[in-house]
Amino acid sequence: MILRRLNNLRPPTRSTTVAALVWLLCYIFAIPLSAANHRAVLVQAITTNDVAVQADLINSLANVPDPIIEQALTAWRQGSVYLYEPEDQPKVPFLLEAGTDATGKSRGIDLGTGEFIKDAAGQPLLFTAADLTAADTSSKLRRVIKTTLDLLALSNLNPNVRRDAASKLGQEQNADYLPHFRERLANEKFPEVRKALTEAIAITELLDEKADVRLGAVRALDQQRSIPGLDFLARLETEAKTKPQAFSLDLLNAIHQARIHIERHVSTSNFIETAFHGFSLSAVLLIAALGLAITFGLMGIINMAHGEMIMIGAYSAYLTQNLFIKMFGQGTRGFDFYFLAALPFSFLTAGLVGILLERGIIRHLYKRPLESLLATWGVSLVLQQTMRTIFGAANVQVYSPSWLTGNINAQDVVFAYNRLFVIAFAIAIVVFTWLLLTKTSLGLQVRALMQNRQMAACMGVRTDRVNMATFAFGSGLAGMAGACLSQIGNIGPSLGQSHIVDCFMVVVLGGVGNLQGTVSAALGIGVTDQVLQPHLGAVLGKITVLAAIILFLQWRPAGLFATRGRGLEG
Amino acid sequence: MMKKTLSKAELIGLAVAGVLVFLVLPLLNALPESHPLHLTTFTLSLLGKYLCYAVLALSVDLLWGYTGLLSLGQCLFFSLGGYALGMYLMLKIGTRGQYHTNLPDFMVFLEFPKRFPTTGGLPPHWIPFQHFWFAAAAIIWVPAVVAAIFGFLAFRSRIKGVYFSILTQALTYAACLMFFRNDFTFGGNNGLTDFKEILGFDLNAASTRRGLFMATAALLIITYLVCRWLTSSRFGKIQRAIRDSENRVLFSGYATANFKLFVFVVAAIIASIGGALFVPQVGIINPSEMATDKSLEAVVWVAVGGRGTLIGPILGAIGVNWLKSYATHTVPEYWLFILGALFIVMTLFFPKGIVGIPSQVRALKARWNRQSVSVAAPAALSPEEKP
Repeated sequence: MILRRLNNLRPPTRSTTVAALVWLLCYIFAIPLSAANHRAVLVQAITTNDVAVQADLINSLANVPDPIIEQALTAWRQGSVYLYEPEDQPKVPFLLEAGTDATGKSRGIDLGTGEFIKDAAGQPLLFTAADLTAADTSSKLRRVIKTTLDLLALSNLNPNVRRDAASKLGQEQNADYLPHFRERLANEKFPEVRKALTEAIAITELLDEKADVRLGAVRALDQQRSIPGLDFLARLETEAKTKPQAFSLDLLNAIHQARIHIERHVSTSNFIETAFHGFSLSAVLLIAALGLAITFGLMGIINMAHGEMIMIGAYSAYLTQNLFIKMFGQGTRGFDFYFLAALPFSFLTAGLVGILLERGIIRHLYKRPLESLLATWGVSLVLQQTMRTIFGAANVQVYSPSWLTGNINAQDVVFAYNRLFVIAFAIAIVVFTWLLLTKTSLGLQVRALMQNRQMAACMGVRTDRVNMATFAFGSGLAGMAGACLSQIGNIGPSLGQSHIVDCFMVVVLGGVGNLQGTVSAALGIGVTDQVLQPHLGAVLGKITVLAAIILFLQWRPAGLFATRGRGLEG
Repeated sequence: MMKKTLSKAELIGLAVAGVLVFLVLPLLNALPESHPLHLTTFTLSLLGKYLCYAVLALSVDLLWGYTGLLSLGQCLFFSLGGYALGMYLMLKIGTRGQYHTNLPDFMVFLEFPKRFPTTGGLPPHWIPFQHFWFAAAAIIWVPAVVAAIFGFLAFRSRIKGVYFSILTQALTYAACLMFFRNDFTFGGNNGLTDFKEILGFDLNAASTRRGLFMATAALLIITYLVCRWLTSSRFGKIQRAIRDSENRVLFSGYATANFKLFVFVVAAIIASIGGALFVPQVGIINPSEMATDKSLEAVVWVAVGGRGTLIGPILGAIGVNWLKSYATHTVPEYWLFILGALFIVMTLFFPKGIVGIPSQVRALKARWNRQSVSVAAPAALSPEEKP
């Protein structure tokens, strides 16, 4: 019956507007909508000429969880809802399907029925976007659509979208939204969204006329430690200065208390955030520099191609990813596991290149450390250019597996999964390296060589082999570092260059040949950098860290944890 | 081992080089363009650039070849000199820039008049660079001060070997980052460019270019002679002793740190003067000139030519740069392969560089002869092989 009435409704003239409104109000609050009904409302909204009626109709769609409404409204706002005007019949609003046929035409989807528009013979009609007239909108209408879309987002299936929508709508302090918020809150299960909704309600209620409601709202914000609420509370406080009669003493006290609590909360969470960023940067530095620290500590030569080992690891991850895309397709469950395969593959590739480098070049230069620095720099140039020849000079794209994208939000600090992973991975490889160095026979030999090469050789340690194994291990670690870095940054032929100076700084600062030095140096540099950055900017922060390292070496020339020995040449 | 006076061969070499650069090349350039032997101004400036690089190579060699300090930041001093003269040249553009104001273009573009309203937009430290004498003095004292501070800190805490190399690299890296910033008042990543005149001479005129070329050649010869004198003096002996065994020198009562600091500062000044002459001939100075890989390239010139000699770095700088100009023009994608291979091959097989090849061949020959002798008479040991 309602359907028929809707269809009979002619586009209302000015005189019928009031009647239509009255009808609409009864309609909205009395009768629950069925799927067909709200589509009819949508069609009605698009084809009507009166802006006020259109706005009301659009508003009425605000709590309809139907994806087509959202899609249609979004399209309308962007001007891609078109009107089909068959003769002697009402206009039909429609969307164009995605994609075109060979002649650049596509079929139209009738918004009322959800089916393709057909001609008399029952064949789908074909349209070209350029020839069509879009359903027009005014700026007022677009605003209404925007609000409706936001309200629709409140019931979106994705909790993150719901949360963002709630925070955004709350900022508008529009009392009309309160019923929507409350309704949503009653059904909401996700704590984050609940928090955002409560916050939105409280922020909106700050402007309520009743004093006790406002007091409740302030207390609610206080309890929530609501950071977005801080601005509104501050605004209230300034308002209280101009017209003190509207604010009771209780309310003023509550606002003051709330502000103090929230500000304290903000500084705590800023602190946690800085620490987290510092740790994740330290983890990156540590992963990248650990291999270098080992090879340098053992052989006393600097491998300038270390950065390129990182780059090789990153490209290995890229290749593994491509292989998995070919095997499973992107975004599939199988694809998600590529990273687990990429880690060992990067380790092996970089380790292999490391062995070749050690056998081919570095072996001959053990007695000439300065020159090995030059030769390995040459190797790094060759490797960079090789990668440029194979993969092109542009950066390549590595997609993160789904379990590394996203973040947790705790105490208003965003913990990104990939950064958490990098930290965990850094801890894991440090523990692994420590076990290898202290609990295996290879580790024993490595340490013997570090302490006294000749004596170790006399005792029967095959120095040649230990050198090779250690160099391969160090390079492999660099390779894994590259795979790890592929998850948080760009991959290009000059990836290694951007890390090499930092790696050197970690090694020089940490002192040669001990893990705790490398770990503390990485932590020190990473955290200092992140603490300085907000005040000085990225570049000045970095320069300050470099200067600080040079000055620090005045005090401890051999690094943080120098290995004590009696030899003159340390 | 090295004589104080110049040997006959050296004198002849210097004379030939002097005639070549002071007479022949400028004359060839002055010939009319239609003449088959005409040397274009472009080529002459290119040669001038190579000579500047040769000066830089000499400064690297003074540190690395003679004192054992592998500095990977020598290009920083080269660029500092370049910037000092570049600032003077920048202020001499006057109203001939894009914006036709007295300010250099980048200062107008970056809205310096708002930042430095009292001076009309010119940062205070730029003002004295309007005078050539100040810029010329700055070419000497700015790098000297930087080198003295850094060297004092580094040598005092006995940072040596690869540590020293890494720290010098970090120094130039930090400076490079600094100069890339727009608000550092040195033109950001565009650097200083578009110069018009030097000391009133038009920079685009062939005669000015000839003059600059001859000045560079003179600088190279003077630098050579200074280095020659320095390394053959008592001071040079201590220098080489530090290179070979620093601790022995230290325990013999020499304050090695002071010697190293002195050489470091001298090398910085030499590099800086080279950089100052580089800028008017190339026409631009920007922060990429002090990037870490440039300094390493300078080291490879020395390695290719032969470190620990004075003629080697000059040959290496000119040779490698000629190769670079040629390769980046004809096979640009292979240049890095060539450069990388040069690094590897020279360090592995020719540690003494081109200059050392004859002695290497002689040594090989001697060894080969000995082997054939010892095969014939195994009982006879040569004197070196006796225990």
